Amino acid sequence: MLRIDDYVEQLKARAMQKSVAAIDKKEVCTINANTMENQVPPELSQWLVDVANVRCKRAFTELFRFFSPKIKRFGIKQLGNEAQANELIQDTMTNVWKKAHLYNADKGAATTWVYTIMRNASFDMLRRIKSKGEVQLADDIWPTFADEQPEEVMFGDHLMEKQMFNYVDSLPEAQKAVVKGVYYQELSQEQLAKQLGVPVGTIKSRLRLALAKLKKQLGESND
Amino acid sequence: MINHHPKNDILTAFVSGQLPASVSVVVASHVELCEHCQQQVELITAQQAASAFNSASDNELIGEAPISNSEIDELDMIDMITALEPDTASVETAPVEVAVNSKLLTLPSALRQVVLKEWQGLGKLSRARFDLDDDEMRMSLLHIDKGGSVPTHTHKGFEVTLLLEGSFDDEMGHYSVGDFIWLDGEHTHQPVTQEGCVCLTVSSDAIHFTQGVSQILNPIGRFIY
Ligand SMILES: [Zn+2]
Repeated sequence: MLRIDDYVEQLKARAMQKSVAAIDKKEVCTINANTMENQVPPELSQWLVDVANVRCKRAFTELFRFFSPKIKRFGIKQLGNEAQANELIQDTMTNVWKKAHLYNADKGAATTWVYTIMRNASFDMLRRIKSKGEVQLADDIWPTFADEQPEEVMFGDHLMEKQMFNYVDSLPEAQKAVVKGVYYQELSQEQLAKQLGVPVGTIKSRLRLALAKLKKQLGESND
Repeated sequence: MINHHPKNDILTAFVSGQLPASVSVVVASHVELCEHCQQQVELITAQQAASAFNSASDNELIGEAPISNSEIDELDMIDMITALEPDTASVETAPVEVAVNSKLLTLPSALRQVVLKEWQGLGKLSRARFDLDDDEMRMSLLHIDKGGSVPTHTHKGFEVTLLLEGSFDDEMGHYSVGDFIWLDGEHTHQPVTQEGCVCLTVSSDAIHFTQGVSQILNPIGRFIY
């Protein structure tokens, strides 16, 4: 008989035991940890963007300095020993470096994104330890890229959706940019005009042309 | 309309990565369908990120192990990582479809890479296991054909169900697509479906039939589990 609440309690207790066991082996630190370096620096988000855009090693080093001690603490709690916690630092920071372009500042804080990367790496590590040769599941369970689904709001049907993507992709560049901006990124025509550096009127006429073209293609292939 | 959601402590355990893999997959599949829980998960993730990375939590953790990597190791690791190429391959998001009773069913994204084994049928019930190694837990797709039912039973361990298609009723209510149901040994139920249904299930133990003649069916409990 396992009740849901008991089950969650058990999980929590197990996690606690692990972290307590890990701490017991250590000397107790008496230094007040609340020093300046523990504040969340406002530049985190910018550093991620710099890594994404220009592969900036200096920005990455700053990120590494800020996150690695905290990842280590999380790792000791989740994985139960220091060697694996170090491995978690490496896995997490490697993914931060390789996937920084998936970070979207509009969708959430830099810390939230790095937390996702870290939790996923930790989850897959635990699975590797428990069952050999398994697929990496974490990124399917918790997607690490933010704008995955806005298209589904428009088109429920997957086939239709796919077809629509193909049509949109076949539009001339200028029209494609407008359609993608308005429907996929949900920008206003004014925002888009600013972003593309053209008058709003131009956006409107490109959109009209593009939609006429798409309607025609859909009409043609629907009979 | 989704009426049954994972409780908040389940969502919290889910976000912190503490649920077993198969249960995580079912919760993720519900979240994919449920806007309400998407918002909850977003909120909990931000909270947990804050407690993992903000200064406040450092105060609580005074007395924990001193944490410092030697400077040399750190620089080595940074050099090694920054020598790697960015991962620009586009993420595979095409939905995976499977045939259930000769109809196509789109599987939740969390199952994208998990292999579905062959279907096995028994009357109006059929079941296909997922090839996912997760301790004593089994994950399956369960299809109950129109007008079918599972005789009254209890669960020795627990059973998590996500309704992917159709609907069913039991003593506790009516369930439709997206509903998340967690049952354990305290619940006895007899699901009945008018229109047929497909569920994603995770069970931690065989189910046990409780009434009269249907007890003869207890080997089916193994089958469904
Ligand atoms: Zn929900």
